[in-house]
Amino acid sequence: MTAPEIVLRVEDLHKSYGSNTVLAGVTFNVTKRETKIVCGPSGSGKSTLLRCLNLLTIPEKGSVWLEGIEVTDPSVDINKARQKIGFVFQDFNLFAHFTALRNVSAGLEIVKGVRKDEAKKIALEALQKVGLEEHAKKYPAELSGGQKQRVAIARALAMNPVIMFYDEPTSALDPQLIGEVLEVMKQLAREGMTSLVVTHEMGFAQSVGDEMLFMMEGRILERGTPTALITDSGNEVTREFFKSINKLYGRFEK
Amino acid sequence: MSFWESFLSALSEGSIITLEMLALAIPVSMILGVVLAVARVYGKKPVSAIAAGIVGTFRGLPLIVTLLILFFALPKVGVYLTPFWAAVTGFILCSGAYQSEYVRGAIRSIDVGQSLAAQSLGMNRRKEVLHIILPQAFRRALPGVTNEIIYLILYSSLAYVVGVSEIFGVAKHFNSLNFRPMEIFSTAAVFYLLMATVAYAGFRRLESRLKIPGLDVGR
Repeated sequence: MTAPEIVLRVEDLHKSYGSNTVLAGVTFNVTKRETKIVCGPSGSGKSTLLRCLNLLTIPEKGSVWLEGIEVTDPSVDINKARQKIGFVFQDFNLFAHFTALRNVSAGLEIVKGVRKDEAKKIALEALQKVGLEEHAKKYPAELSGGQKQRVAIARALAMNPVIMFYDEPTSALDPQLIGEVLEVMKQLAREGMTSLVVTHEMGFAQSVGDEMLFMMEGRILERGTPTALITDSGNEVTREFFKSINKLYGRFEK
Repeated sequence: MSFWESFLSALSEGSIITLEMLALAIPVSMILGVVLAVARVYGKKPVSAIAAGIVGTFRGLPLIVTLLILFFALPKVGVYLTPFWAAVTGFILCSGAYQSEYVRGAIRSIDVGQSLAAQSLGMNRRKEVLHIILPQAFRRALPGVTNEIIYLILYSSLAYVVGVSEIFGVAKHFNSLNFRPMEIFSTAAVFYLLMATVAYAGFRRLESRLKIPGLDVGR
């Protein structure tokens, strides 16, 4: 058996704001077709971690490798590396002056220089994938939160990324809209899209997560299969965290 | 030729000159406003400081002083402008400085999340500003910019101080010959009111043509 191909390698990542240490040495790999879940209490450094990985935030120390290229190397063109990472934000961050279709095709046209009609075709396919092709002509303000987030996922997918980052993609959504976004994410995971997902959706984590990292105070406190961490952690802090999540969200989906 | 015949014919020639000045000053001042705003928000320190200096200067001078400096003082350092070009240059600098403040505020008002999204797609700063930020900022700045352009139309009358025979210059000249201020200035007033009204209607139309659901334009 050959070793699984490593898509993302993170080594000893550090970040602090003044005296406030947000990341205190984070190391892990994401292998091809893997769905890795990151969770942990508020302020544990999850969002900062994702942003350090595509250099939206510059880490102080440590390195990030994407498909064998060190993106933290200052001589590497970060805009090239970012094209390979699909980033989905908590607040969607759709371009307000573009239709859903144009939101999805913008990256192809503006960044990759794909011809307009070709970009439109790819964008329509991506919208189809998230079930929104009939909303292609609507502007973000005319879409529901769940639809906006699915457009944001399509926008990331259209760039044909090697990995998807999701930063609490359902935290800003009304409860009844969370399902449609999770469904799309699950479908992508099952199709083999490599993903790194910051989320508190334990049902999602258990159904498609291959490994879970539990973060605390800028470190990975514990790692293992989602089910093992959620239901059977030997660590007091981890247990307490999932107990409180469980209370808030109700019973875990099987 | 009767008074009215000669006055109206001179006034219509004056209004052509006014319109020529505005046809140059309006678009160029709008471009300058955007350039100054972008330089202030995104420029490196010296660029941003220079832009801030230009805005501070021309926003801090009475237009009449700017015009007199451009026409009477610049020749002392070897720069000669005709009355027409001195006036147009003054209008562009003054209006551009004011407009840039509206555009700068509008740029600042665009949610930073959209910048992060643009960067995450691999856009460099130039592409992000050009394709994502400015189209939205321009729409948000448009009502304020419209106001500045209406001011510009009205204060184009100051061009008479450097000797441009525009509408107000013609009116003033005729009044000193005939001393019929009531008829003369009322007629000039109608011309300005008409231009301001047409410009306002035009910009409102532009606003509604650029209207996008969710962006605060054209309400």
